[in-house]
Amino acid sequence: MSTMTSARSAPPPSSRLEPPPVARRDFLGLAALWSAMAALAVAAVGALRLPRAAVVPVPSRKFRVTLPETLAPGEPFLPAGRSVAVFRDGTGVWAMSTVCTHLGCIVKQEGEGFACPCHGSLFKMDGAVTKGPAPKALPWLAVSRVGGGVYLVDEAESVAPGTKAAT
Amino acid sequence: MSSTGIQRFGENLRTLPRTLREAVSRTGAPTTDRARSSFVFGNLFLHLHSVRVHLWTFRWSTTWGLGIAALSAFLVTLVTGILLMFYYKPYPDAAYWSVKDIHFVVPTGKFIRNIHRWAAQVMVFAVFAHMARVFYTASYRKPREFNWVVGMGLLVLTLGLSFTGYLLPWDQLAYWAITIGANIAQSPREVTDALGVTATFDPGGLVRFILLGSEEIGEEALIRFYLLHVMLLPLLLGALLGVHFWRIRKDGGLARPADADRRVAESPVPVQPTFTDAPRKTYQLAALVRGTSPAVGRAPEKTVPAMPHLFYAELAVFMLTILVCVALSLVSDAPLKEHANPAVPENPAKAPWYFLGLQELVAYSAFMGGMGLPTLVVIGLTLIPLLDRETDGTGEWFGGPGGLPLVLRSAAFGLVTVIAIEAFAIRFGWLREWFPDVPQLVVTFVNPGTLLALAYAAYSLLCVKRYDSTRAGALALFTCFLCGFVVLTIVGVHFRGPNWSFYWSPADWPAH
Amino acid sequence: MRANKILLLVASLGTLALLLVAVWRENVDRDWRRIQRDYRSRLEREAAAGFAVQLRQLYVPDLGATDRCISCHVGMAPGEHGIAGDPVLGPHPDVAHDPADFGCVVCHDGQGRATETADAHGSVMHWPHPMLPARHAWAGCGSCHTHVAVPRRVELAQGLALVERNDCLACHVLDGRGGTLRPGSAGVAAPDLSRVGARGFDRGWYDAHLARHETAEAETNGPWRTSFGPIAAEDRALIEAYLGSRVGAPELVTAKATFHELGCRGCHKVAGVGGDDGPDLTHVGDKDPGQMDFHRVPERTLASWLAAHFRDPAAIVPGSRMPEMGLDERQIELLTFYMLSLRRSDQPEAYWPKDRIRAERFGEREFATDGATLWGTFCAACHGPSGEGMRYPGAAAFPAAANPDFLAIASDRFLRETIVHGRPGRRMPAWGESEGGLRRAEIDAVIAHLRSLGGVPAPRETEPLRWVDGDAAAGAGLYAQACASCHGERGEGKEGPALANPRFLAAASAAYLVESIRRGRRGTSMPAFGAASPTHRVLADDEIVSIVSFMRTWEEPR
Repeated sequence: MSTMTSARSAPPPSSRLEPPPVARRDFLGLAALWSAMAALAVAAVGALRLPRAAVVPVPSRKFRVTLPETLAPGEPFLPAGRSVAVFRDGTGVWAMSTVCTHLGCIVKQEGEGFACPCHGSLFKMDGAVTKGPAPKALPWLAVSRVGGGVYLVDEAESVAPGTKAAT
Repeated sequence: MSSTGIQRFGENLRTLPRTLREAVSRTGAPTTDRARSSFVFGNLFLHLHSVRVHLWTFRWSTTWGLGIAALSAFLVTLVTGILLMFYYKPYPDAAYWSVKDIHFVVPTGKFIRNIHRWAAQVMVFAVFAHMARVFYTASYRKPREFNWVVGMGLLVLTLGLSFTGYLLPWDQLAYWAITIGANIAQSPREVTDALGVTATFDPGGLVRFILLGSEEIGEEALIRFYLLHVMLLPLLLGALLGVHFWRIRKDGGLARPADADRRVAESPVPVQPTFTDAPRKTYQLAALVRGTSPAVGRAPEKTVPAMPHLFYAELAVFMLTILVCVALSLVSDAPLKEHANPAVPENPAKAPWYFLGLQELVAYSAFMGGMGLPTLVVIGLTLIPLLDRETDGTGEWFGGPGGLPLVLRSAAFGLVTVIAIEAFAIRFGWLREWFPDVPQLVVTFVNPGTLLALAYAAYSLLCVKRYDSTRAGALALFTCFLCGFVVLTIVGVHFRGPNWSFYWSPADWPAH
Repeated sequence: MRANKILLLVASLGTLALLLVAVWRENVDRDWRRIQRDYRSRLEREAAAGFAVQLRQLYVPDLGATDRCISCHVGMAPGEHGIAGDPVLGPHPDVAHDPADFGCVVCHDGQGRATETADAHGSVMHWPHPMLPARHAWAGCGSCHTHVAVPRRVELAQGLALVERNDCLACHVLDGRGGTLRPGSAGVAAPDLSRVGARGFDRGWYDAHLARHETAEAETNGPWRTSFGPIAAEDRALIEAYLGSRVGAPELVTAKATFHELGCRGCHKVAGVGGDDGPDLTHVGDKDPGQMDFHRVPERTLASWLAAHFRDPAAIVPGSRMPEMGLDERQIELLTFYMLSLRRSDQPEAYWPKDRIRAERFGEREFATDGATLWGTFCAACHGPSGEGMRYPGAAAFPAAANPDFLAIASDRFLRETIVHGRPGRRMPAWGESEGGLRRAEIDAVIAHLRSLGGVPAPRETEPLRWVDGDAAAGAGLYAQACASCHGERGEGKEGPALANPRFLAAASAAYLVESIRRGRRGTSMPAFGAASPTHRVLADDEIVSIVSFMRTWEEPR
């Protein structure tokens, strides 16, 4: 039965355990393999695009805030449900994010400034870093006056520190 | 010391890529058949293959690649399914809207969902076809009986995966198909009610309750179906698949006729006779598994290395399956109907196509059509290799006494019988239309499907007697049931419209 | 073996090609991408540089709105200015509500999540809420403004006529008209009155205007002199009623007033008030076209179905008992519009408009509650605008409630009970608060209006309600002779009304029954049995009493 080995092939192998190397120039096989790889690669690239959402459901980050009459000048007012501190003094109204610029914990007022509970960053009342790993000052946010003690704060838009809206 | 530690470190750093390569692949580049064999043997994923494969395996007509196609479709559903899980939210309402989002804004989302859906259909079709192939080539015989049983498990799991996936979009199609499915699960009540024991013994209600996690289809049902669909059933299927493939190898590769060596054509590649009539050589471990290794003590066999020849074949079927799924996905979108509305039933509420044969029978009585007969069929299929122990014709298409003519005759009988019974029931109605007071138990059990099954069983017994062969009976029975399944499915898919009435074409459906 | 390689090559190349087709479809061949590219190419250079082709959406979680309409209608996206006049890219017209705060679907319907044109507009299978047609776009107001108060249709017409006659439009803009500075005549820019009803207006507007009219400022040929002059008090009331209805949705107000004027609520409930003879219309504008029969309708839209249905109800809905109302095209258009505005109203309460809060929390009516309005809205469709009764083709005649003979013997108590409880089994619905939704005071107003229509004062019920004590057996015989041919053997009603109706027998006093038999009912086929006639014999008083006693035997024992 061993005579059944293909006539097309090179001389019969010397040993079953040491067969001759396979011919390298198998153009058809390589083309087929590479095209399969290409198709799978394109499919993989397409699939990898999927996890990056094209649109994200984010509600408006603008909100209205009514400052209480009793708010002391320079004292923060913390609207419920927002990570923002709003201030008022004689020169105007301003808002500052209370999200720590280090890793996103919410800072708490402590004495004459803010302290981050997570990694110990300290900020001054105007947001400047005084201690700890926070790389940047707390950003100031855009505020505009709606009227009647109501102000519109836009969490998405930060402004240069010192920018205040008229009271 | 010829070199300092620092020098050795530098040298090690320089040879890092090579060392890494060698650590991963111990055999080096698989350029010789031997190296390839070693490569296959030493690789977790490849070693499910035999190192060498008989040339008979490569004949397209041996398998038509159906098993690999089913596996490929499963892999495709696995990958696309995981991708869909990025966005799918298994909670009522949210589920529907998340599928809408997948359709409309998720990058490639609609395409991926289409592929998922089509690959599932392809998988079901391939599994059915694979089963038929194995049956008709009598490949279920010793030593492969158990693998046939595993295959039946895989069939049931495949259908279960498909069915559980059906609910997830939470649209009308899903909601009402699952309503029907859950009530079929509850249909043993038809029997227990008629016997008056439901209060104490209610298997139907229990199954439905466990399936839905509640009295009705809602958030509980959805999370359960989700769990089944993405976790339990795939894990079970994966485990069974492993067993299935492993058994293929341990059972000596694909079934082939005794004279396969003589019949395979001239090979284009060098063929090595694997084993001579050497004395009782065994693979040690395999010997433990099955006594003697299946290939021991045979004449020289014409085998070729699995790598690369078998891999080319498998990869070709894999890519072909993907091609089919992708092509279908481009042509036809996966359906997404209105948001589920428990107040307005879909009309007609149709299950996926492979269940519509059952739905056709369910239209006469839920228990027999939806539970009794399917259970009987699955049990009957499972028992085939244990009941037919003849050896003639293994590995041959329609092997066994009678062969193709017997199959054709059986097909004719199967078709005529099912069409006659269906036509009769559609034209003249069924029991309750003639005898309004007929007891429910009679309606439950005297389903057209029951009569059909009895006719098929009688016919196959006749064949056993006539050909004096159990294989002939198996051929007749399997063929009849296949024909019955196909015809009932076609009736369910094409000829049934609103209120499950008969229509020659969906174009005739009344507007609702 | 070679064949397998070829198969692999072909399958791989095929897959690759199809994947590239999919890539092209996904990244190039999308409606919104084409439209946004077009938009960018038409922008100024600077604006175009800052414009990214990307999906856009309005997200308002409280309203459940995730509306991607602005991915194509990108000119309506917040911060974009649009291209005026372009049907797709144009900016949103100025409306009371900023789309950014409400989303699109809440007013326009359609499928907000979709990003393909047909899907988004909802004109596809399996989407139950297609967009409102552009010409009915204002029906979308009905999604939230479920209880817009409307005056009567005639008052609207009179108010508008007065506004025009008094030249208010010389200075004021109203529903897009007026405010022009007409040459030769005068005119200054005055406040837009289109939404003055929602905003509210100064009750002292007239005096303020008049004061300006009389000052020196007006002397200089200004509009204060030419356009504004004294207005009579009753005209002012009509103008104020008209202005009160200007809430920014003039078409909706006209349509709703038409719906009331035609008496549709006599048979149909809207928001719990109305008859129950026809289907409840509270959510009719939300019907799923996928569930409807469009066989005899020109277009597969709800609007088209409704219009066809108004033309010939029974042709669209076989077996419909709704009469052909003989409506003109304008009325059909308005009714269709109003039906489309009756839409889902499941918005969270924080989003309820004032009209809905007033109606559902403070019990204010969306219709005037004077007798004439109530009669026109709830009764006139069947009993006629002046109580003369109605006969629609193919239906039994409705009684003339203002018949003087009837009103002369029907006490207010009888009328009230009849209205409150209706006639179960007949077409007269029960109008009591738990059924038809009318309140005691409103029913009294209707009764007073009915009396004024008939011109007959209410009879006094001095006697006890049940004083008859005749021979019921003899009455049975007399009834069979004299009454059964019209009222039925067992009082079940034939051409004449059903007498065995329990509600009728409970409400009717003995005196009412006796007098009805004795005096008959002029204008109907009920003869006066107490008077001589060639067609029947005269019944003596005791015979009439016997008949009434017999009728009382139909009552269930108390």
